[in-house]
Amino acid sequence: MSTRPTSFVERLEKLASASSVATDAATLEACAVDGARPTAVVRPGSAEEVAVVVRFAAAEKLAVIPMGGRTKLGIGMPPRRYDIALDMSRMNRVLAYDPGDLTLGVEAGIGVEKLLEVLAEEKQFLPLLVPWMERATIGGVVAANSVSPLRYAYGGPRDFVLGMEFVTGEGKLCKSGGRVVKNVTGYDLHKLLIGSLGTLGVITRVNFKTFPLPPAQQTFVTSYTNAEEAMALVQAIAKSPLSPRLVEVVEPGAAKIIASEKLPTGLWSVVVAAAGNERVVERHGAELARMAEESRASEFQALTDAEKRLLLGRVREFLQHLMVMHPAATIFRINALPTAMAGLVERLREIALRNQLASCAVVRAGGMVYFAVWPEAGSEGDSLRRACEEIFAAAEGEGAQAVIELCPAELKREVNVWGATRGDFELMQRMKRVFDPGEVFAPGRFVSGI
Amino acid sequence: MDKRFIREMEEILGRESVLARHEDLLMYEYDGSVEQARPECVVFPRTTEDVVKIVKAAARYNVPLVGRGAGTGLSGGALAREGGLMLVFSRMNRIMEIDYENQRAVVQPGVVNLDLTRAVEHAGLYFAPDPSSQKACTIGGNVAENAGGPHTLAYGVTTNHVTELELVLPDGDVVRVGGRTAETPGYDLTGLLVGSEGTLAIVTEITVKLSRLPEAVKTLLAVYETVDDATETVVEITARAITPAACEMLDGWTLRAVEEFVHAGFPMDSAAVLLIEVEGLREAVEWQAEQVSAVCREHHAREVRVAKDDRERELLWKGRKNAFGAVGRLSPSYYVQDGVIPRTKLPATLRRIDEIGKKYGFQIGNIFHAGDGNLHPIILFDQRDPEQFERAVNAANEIMQWCIDQGGVLTGEHGVGMEKNELMPLLFSADDLDLMRRVRAAFNPSGRLNPGKVFPFGKGCGEVRVRPLPVSSASPV
Repeated sequence: MSTRPTSFVERLEKLASASSVATDAATLEACAVDGARPTAVVRPGSAEEVAVVVRFAAAEKLAVIPMGGRTKLGIGMPPRRYDIALDMSRMNRVLAYDPGDLTLGVEAGIGVEKLLEVLAEEKQFLPLLVPWMERATIGGVVAANSVSPLRYAYGGPRDFVLGMEFVTGEGKLCKSGGRVVKNVTGYDLHKLLIGSLGTLGVITRVNFKTFPLPPAQQTFVTSYTNAEEAMALVQAIAKSPLSPRLVEVVEPGAAKIIASEKLPTGLWSVVVAAAGNERVVERHGAELARMAEESRASEFQALTDAEKRLLLGRVREFLQHLMVMHPAATIFRINALPTAMAGLVERLREIALRNQLASCAVVRAGGMVYFAVWPEAGSEGDSLRRACEEIFAAAEGEGAQAVIELCPAELKREVNVWGATRGDFELMQRMKRVFDPGEVFAPGRFVSGI
Repeated sequence: MDKRFIREMEEILGRESVLARHEDLLMYEYDGSVEQARPECVVFPRTTEDVVKIVKAAARYNVPLVGRGAGTGLSGGALAREGGLMLVFSRMNRIMEIDYENQRAVVQPGVVNLDLTRAVEHAGLYFAPDPSSQKACTIGGNVAENAGGPHTLAYGVTTNHVTELELVLPDGDVVRVGGRTAETPGYDLTGLLVGSEGTLAIVTEITVKLSRLPEAVKTLLAVYETVDDATETVVEITARAITPAACEMLDGWTLRAVEEFVHAGFPMDSAAVLLIEVEGLREAVEWQAEQVSAVCREHHAREVRVAKDDRERELLWKGRKNAFGAVGRLSPSYYVQDGVIPRTKLPATLRRIDEIGKKYGFQIGNIFHAGDGNLHPIILFDQRDPEQFERAVNAANEIMQWCIDQGGVLTGEHGVGMEKNELMPLLFSADDLDLMRRVRAAFNPSGRLNPGKVFPFGKGCGEVRVRPLPVSSASPV
């Protein structure tokens, strides 16, 4: 990708320890972003090493993309320049964990799965049931603001990240926030880094508040013949005193992909996980059964623990299963108000059908939908682009916020995955100029050409 | 101030919405702190358009600007440190829209915190952030300071309940950041703006999340013979992962002061009480209340009382929320701090505060959000005596340093303002502060917006040059 002479690699090797710089073809290919390969991959062992590499890149006007488990490299627009991949996987330590305080500080490269195991030993967790769980890292999940089904009860990273350390585009190691659960000292700069896709800084440390694992849990599946009824149940739950930890609506097409026998074929299923003490869980079961009956659900199931684990595991990995089955899928991530959701999903399905595309949808936490389309035999060449434009327009019409999370690289030549320009993009560009004035980090990958 | 500027203000807003006479300005030179700073002109906009016109005129005349809600802040955030113009939002107090189905409300910044809850509670909804001053403080002020309150232990602070803001930038541009939905594409500017203490933009409209009122609530009062037993209880409640909605502590001195004033039913002869609230589904509340009671008893609570009805519950909370007023009756001046520590350090910290009080010869009361480690030590002194003033500030700084040494922070909910800005280098490096300053400059390049706040005047050398200022008994909290 880079037209720059490779001689910077020699200087880089002198700077970083030579063993942490790789230039072999396989490693470079593994770090490719939308077909663009870096010239070198560096695996820093500390925040200071990250800062050294970034300062080097800034001085040499090279572009850097930070990455962890490399599960999210398809997100965003193709980078305008790309020279160095910063592989954070060596920075994988728990730096501070105080179960008694329910607080945690970790290096960004730590694997989510491994971290959840550490927390489980203390009967705690982070609400990050994220896809590609076995590879995803904390830094990546935070930088991409990955959506966990547990968002329903616990919110997103902005609600439980307490502070961060990061290296700016000028190679300065900075921090914001702290390690305590309540703090208004200084600007919450770390909020900007959540979802920034590595375009403002390289996250080196994240501090979290942790959560106690509930003593009892049970999962229920209520199935309907149409979206409207399924979404009506979601609304009814929201208005009830119930406090489930997860509410997912699986559309029939998505049910095929999740491929669980607990999701009846051809139906819209609402998956609800209740948690708390035994009596709280029982109450959820009883009330959900009543709601299901009153709303004439086609089916209501209370799952056993083993069934629950299997189903929630597959729901969690929905995106991964989808990409395996339909590698050419274009996946929209759309935030909508709960009252708009049923109508929006129906419209999106019509758009797919009209453009002869296959589609599926999962509605997460009542307010966010993954909607995927992919060509079938007989689809016209231009139908995908057309459908994407219609989907963006439909979302806008419903007051929803749509982006394309994953899609074939070719589509990005015709469609901006970040959707239409928003009024606040200019302020975002100002933030980019503050954090990364030399455009070291993934130039062009984020909204508005950032 | 240029008379022509004041005339322009009168032309924009009408004479009844502009104050510029000395005697009219006096009441705007205070907020919850004794720091005084008098604006040269006070205006009362009614609409975003008013604010835009005001801001554009101020830019032409190079006048500093500061926004103000009810003036209940505790760090001097809403004071005109460099004079200039004060925008008071008390007439921008309309609830623009309530979306019951999606649990959202759109409000102007001058809407009083509790008024929003009053407007939606008939539908089983409420606005979760509940600072002690919630009967007076405004949502605009809550947004500026990222306000907390007792129930933020379970429900989070203001930032967790705001999804969208309308901003007027210092050049008069109007920008909306965030959206009605939970997330929007791009950087989380809403998250940056909330808690930026009025130094980045003037907020003219706010979209907030509304929360559902719990089905059941239980309020417990645990009474202790020693402060250590009370703090150990808090540590144990956290460690056992029981998450109450609120967990407040009052030490013996404070609760006696409160009891004499409010008659809330606090036991006069105890060393400390914990006021603990559990909320949620009936089944969860019963279970949590049992767990909490058990932990209290294990830590030698001499009594665990459950409020038997709403009246008793409200009385206990009235005691808590009016505590500062009660303290104000007993001392000419007091200085409230807002440090936060990891919760496991509570027992050692309260012992340390007691030692510091003895060392400097002050009574230090403690009434605070124990559940999230957010301390409010109250140092009682007489400000008329300069020597006492000096000692009080030294005692306060020693407490603050201790908090930071425990891994804590300067302020949990009151804000940095002009009270703790010189202490920022205790927590942040020169690079950290430089980055924050550049973020401020990106929004507020001339620095005319709320000047003299948040950042130390020193150039990041780590030296503390100006001492923080005490908070007076005039505090309306």
